[in-house]
Amino acid sequence: MNAHGAMLSQQKPVLLTGNHAVAWAARLARPKVVPLYPITPQTPILEKLTEFQADGAFNAEIITPESEHSVMAACIPASLAGVRVFTATASQGLLLMHELLHYASGARAPIVMANVNRTLASPWAFWPDETDSLSQRDTGWIQYYVESAQESLDTVIQAFRVAERELLPVMVNLDAFYVSHALEPVRVPPQELVDAFLPPYTPSHCLDTAKVESWGNVVTPDMYYRHRRALGEAMDQVYATALEADDEWGELTGRRYGLIERYRCEGARSVIVAMGSMCGTARDAVDAMRDAGLMIGLMKVRLFRPLPVQALRAGLAGVADVLVLDRDYSPGHGGVLHQELRAALYGMADAPRIHGYLAGVGGVNVSPEKIAEFARMANVSDSQPESAWVR
Amino acid sequence: MLQIAIQGRGGQGAQTAGSLLAMAFFAEGREVQSFASYGGARRGTPVSSFIRVDDRPIRLRCDIEQADAILCFDASLLEGRLLAIARPDTLIVVNSSRTPEQYAEQLPGYRVLPIDGISISRRHGLGRIVNSTLLGAFARAIEAPKLEVLTQALGETAPKLREENIASCEEGYRRMEAQLQRVAA
Repeated sequence: MNAHGAMLSQQKPVLLTGNHAVAWAARLARPKVVPLYPITPQTPILEKLTEFQADGAFNAEIITPESEHSVMAACIPASLAGVRVFTATASQGLLLMHELLHYASGARAPIVMANVNRTLASPWAFWPDETDSLSQRDTGWIQYYVESAQESLDTVIQAFRVAERELLPVMVNLDAFYVSHALEPVRVPPQELVDAFLPPYTPSHCLDTAKVESWGNVVTPDMYYRHRRALGEAMDQVYATALEADDEWGELTGRRYGLIERYRCEGARSVIVAMGSMCGTARDAVDAMRDAGLMIGLMKVRLFRPLPVQALRAGLAGVADVLVLDRDYSPGHGGVLHQELRAALYGMADAPRIHGYLAGVGGVNVSPEKIAEFARMANVSDSQPESAWVR
Repeated sequence: MLQIAIQGRGGQGAQTAGSLLAMAFFAEGREVQSFASYGGARRGTPVSSFIRVDDRPIRLRCDIEQADAILCFDASLLEGRLLAIARPDTLIVVNSSRTPEQYAEQLPGYRVLPIDGISISRRHGLGRIVNSTLLGAFARAIEAPKLEVLTQALGETAPKLREENIASCEEGYRRMEAQLQRVAA
């Protein structure tokens, strides 16, 4: 930590919800255009940003079109015109954007979007469930999953750095309720620190009537192939860029998270793998099980797209049992994280036995005691290719 | 770790009460986490708010299944679902004009401390808005946070009727104190 970081660690935290922490991050990043459409449980992000704007503290053009599809349709050209763009949504709103999510990554528009993970209809509900964003995993967006209000704030700011370096859009996902609506202590960094971390966005290409550049022409198969391949190469760079952004943020603030985090994995026989808010609960579960003499740890997947396959393989080498906890469900294929982990670890020498648990689907409560129960189940059962319904 | 559940009906201020309580504990230097159910909540439907208070950062992201204390805004909600998260030693403060003795008879095995929030709030010109009053009573019942820290948080956040809210909170506190002394005697 440098002198600036040391000064900041003295900085007093304030109470913010995850949603308001996201709004603060967006304000500090100084985007020029912010198209938004309200949807529970994301609405407080929109409310806070318009409040900042009304107070004269947020100098962005906030556009409120008639749907989330139109929101993304406004984000893409604004981004291609060469300005920083932020938006936020949740659940059905994200799904309504689907077509344009592909378009945004194809157009290499470095939009940053916060998504509050909420159940998908039907039936109608408002609970934490990550199926909304996980079902968008093939859209070419970088995806982060965060655990707390502080991590939401820090990750949205890091996301702009990564997006603009690699010209890829980034989705920062926070669980409804347990993160979006949880009021907790958050350190809000000063504007000058964020300005130093995030210089103004100045892309080498942008839509400019004076330069006469355009985007959207019909291409040949060869051009399309090369364009997708270039997108893939940018995705491959994300590991290094995201790590560097996280390290630099750590130097400035004393807070770093990694792309995957290993919590008490030293000598672990079993490792729990999870994303988002469940990781917090899993930490307490791991501490309790370690106290009881069990060799267990937690691996938190913070970056889900691109999936840090090599880091997962290295981090889980030598582990006997891996328990994947999914707060999502892909009907016909089980837990998304479970299936991703199975694919990522396939072919490893002495690969761990992987157990997939559909634990938090639909916002069903997952307590530390439940996690300990799943760990006991994994100990005495064979690994199955299918995910198991547990609660 | 202290785990608190607040139960009310949409529009009664249970969520605001949760935030205020968290702010007061935070002002006392404690680590806090407060969250509420939302979205489907409409005026009149049950709304829950949860608070965790600890001396170290709070990492749990799950429901409170066993509360150390419960604040119930509406006596009609003091039944099965809410009582399921109460242990025999859980302190339950409920907005009701009934007496502790009546509750001891009605809900044996629970520690119910009623407070007539509506009468107190009305006396202070707050009408049926009982959250400041109930918070005062609750803070006395669980002996935290300190009354002056709570009233300061109230004063900083009350959109209107600041003095009235503080006075009503203080009366709620004193009434609970008198009741506890009477029961102890």
